[in-house]
Amino acid sequence: MKKFQNIADKWLLFLLILLWQATVSLGLVKPYILPSPAAIVTELFSSFKVLVYHAAITFTEGIVGLLAATLIAFITALLMDRYAGVKKALYPLLVISQTVPIIIIAPLIAMWFGFGIAPKIFVVVLVCFFPVTISLTDGLSEVDPELIDLLRSMGARPYAIYTKVKLPYTLSNFYSGLKIAATYSIMGAVIGEWLGGKAGLGVYMLRARNSFALEKVFASILIIVLLSIGIFGLIKWIQKRTMPWAHLQEDDHQ
Amino acid sequence: MNSCPPSNLLTVDALSKDYKGQPILEDIHLELHKEEFVTLLGPSGCGKSTLFNLIAGLIPPRSGRILIKGEDITGQTGRVSYMHQKDLLLPWRDVTGNGAVPLEIRGSSREEARKVVQEALEIFGLEGHGHKYPSQLSGGMRQRVSLLRTTMFSKEIMLLDEPFGGLDAMTRFAMQQYLLTVLKKIKGSVIFITHDIEEAIFLSDRIYVMKGAPAHIVDEVRVTLKKPRSPEILSLPEFHALREHILKQLEE
Ligand SMILES: Nc1ncnc2c1ncn2[C@@H]1O[C@H](COP(=O)(O)OP(=O)(O)O)[C@@H](O)[C@H]1O
Ligand SMILES: [Mg+2]
Repeated sequence: MKKFQNIADKWLLFLLILLWQATVSLGLVKPYILPSPAAIVTELFSSFKVLVYHAAITFTEGIVGLLAATLIAFITALLMDRYAGVKKALYPLLVISQTVPIIIIAPLIAMWFGFGIAPKIFVVVLVCFFPVTISLTDGLSEVDPELIDLLRSMGARPYAIYTKVKLPYTLSNFYSGLKIAATYSIMGAVIGEWLGGKAGLGVYMLRARNSFALEKVFASILIIVLLSIGIFGLIKWIQKRTMPWAHLQEDDHQ
Repeated sequence: MNSCPPSNLLTVDALSKDYKGQPILEDIHLELHKEEFVTLLGPSGCGKSTLFNLIAGLIPPRSGRILIKGEDITGQTGRVSYMHQKDLLLPWRDVTGNGAVPLEIRGSSREEARKVVQEALEIFGLEGHGHKYPSQLSGGMRQRVSLLRTTMFSKEIMLLDEPFGGLDAMTRFAMQQYLLTVLKKIKGSVIFITHDIEEAIFLSDRIYVMKGAPAHIVDEVRVTLKKPRSPEILSLPEFHALREHILKQLEE
């Protein structure tokens, strides 16, 4: 049943691409409005080296930003969970921070961090740390208070309560937040590059757009999609490795 | 009544507790002797779990003391073990790992703790299940693991708060007999909470009947039915007499 579902999903994607190709090939849409999938793939191969060069930079920014965001999220969430006062003061600020449009503060970011890799990473952190922090914070606060009381009754110190109960309990929540963040991370890096820079897929895309090389733009988009899916898949893989108990039922049915 | 504290394993002395100015428990006295099975019987919401939380040191009393062998331990955690109606097992740990939690909190390494637990699995009827995760066990089996974990912390004084309250009637009856068998092997002393009169009589050496708002102890009933307890005692006239007596106490 599951296998059939997989095949169906892939067929749908295949069908859409076919439809797209047909629309352009039949001349219903002009190639300078929308390039055909075949043209995009051809472009992908012909400028593969350049694309890989730029993609590597964007990927690095995305990954470093995602890791930094995760670290900051852990520290923030732990502090908020441990000290009610910190949570009360910080939680609203976190939400507000997400409502500020990045494009508006772009000149500020450039002023603070210059035009190197730092401002790109900053943007990635800005978009990634929110979902991770919120999922962690909510997860930590959802642990059954009776379970915490049970450990307290054994004389457990806060450190033991966090390492033995609260953090493992939060793991599945954490991965949900991290997966959302992962899909934002490459996009965040690209936006960061749009704010100003010399290399990366964002810069490459802007140049391509300005010279009306639409198939180059689409080839970049394809790479961005692949990178995002790649990071997402990697996290899913790590999740399965680190949470073997969560997959017991599935295994039983196989 | 024996009023010399050091001869008691546990003594609760004139304990009172309020929540937000509302008195919940008033002047509670009780005692537990070595290898004794004592039950707190009372209607839901009368304050039985609150009394356990006080004994476990999780909340402070308004007044009164809790003593272990004469030593005042009021407000101290880590002196008694505590089992809840919910099994509260950690889904990411297998049976052995769950049993190891209290030993780790006491400072054992993970490996040492697992070894100790593995050797105890048989007593608890869990041999061969050590590597299973809680999600792979039935409700009754999960409570066995919960009991194992409880005894790993301490079997000297065990507080069991309606541990079988969430189980179906058949499993529950099996678990009552199982509990008595295990306790005999490990020589544990227990205070047990229930609102089920028959469960109380079947399991206990003594029963404290609690009721009222604020709750206080209205009666102490000694159960002299022969041990080991078997299902046959449920049909003895003594059993029915005790039940009638307690029922009357609760209805008054
Ligand atoms: N943390 C708390 N704050 C305020 N009231 C509480 C709290 N815990 C229990 N109570 C109240 O104390 C009473 C006794 O509760 P509890 O000890 O759980 O009863 P039992 O275990 O006998 O069913 C109840 O009326 C309950 O509402
Ligand atoms: Mg209760």
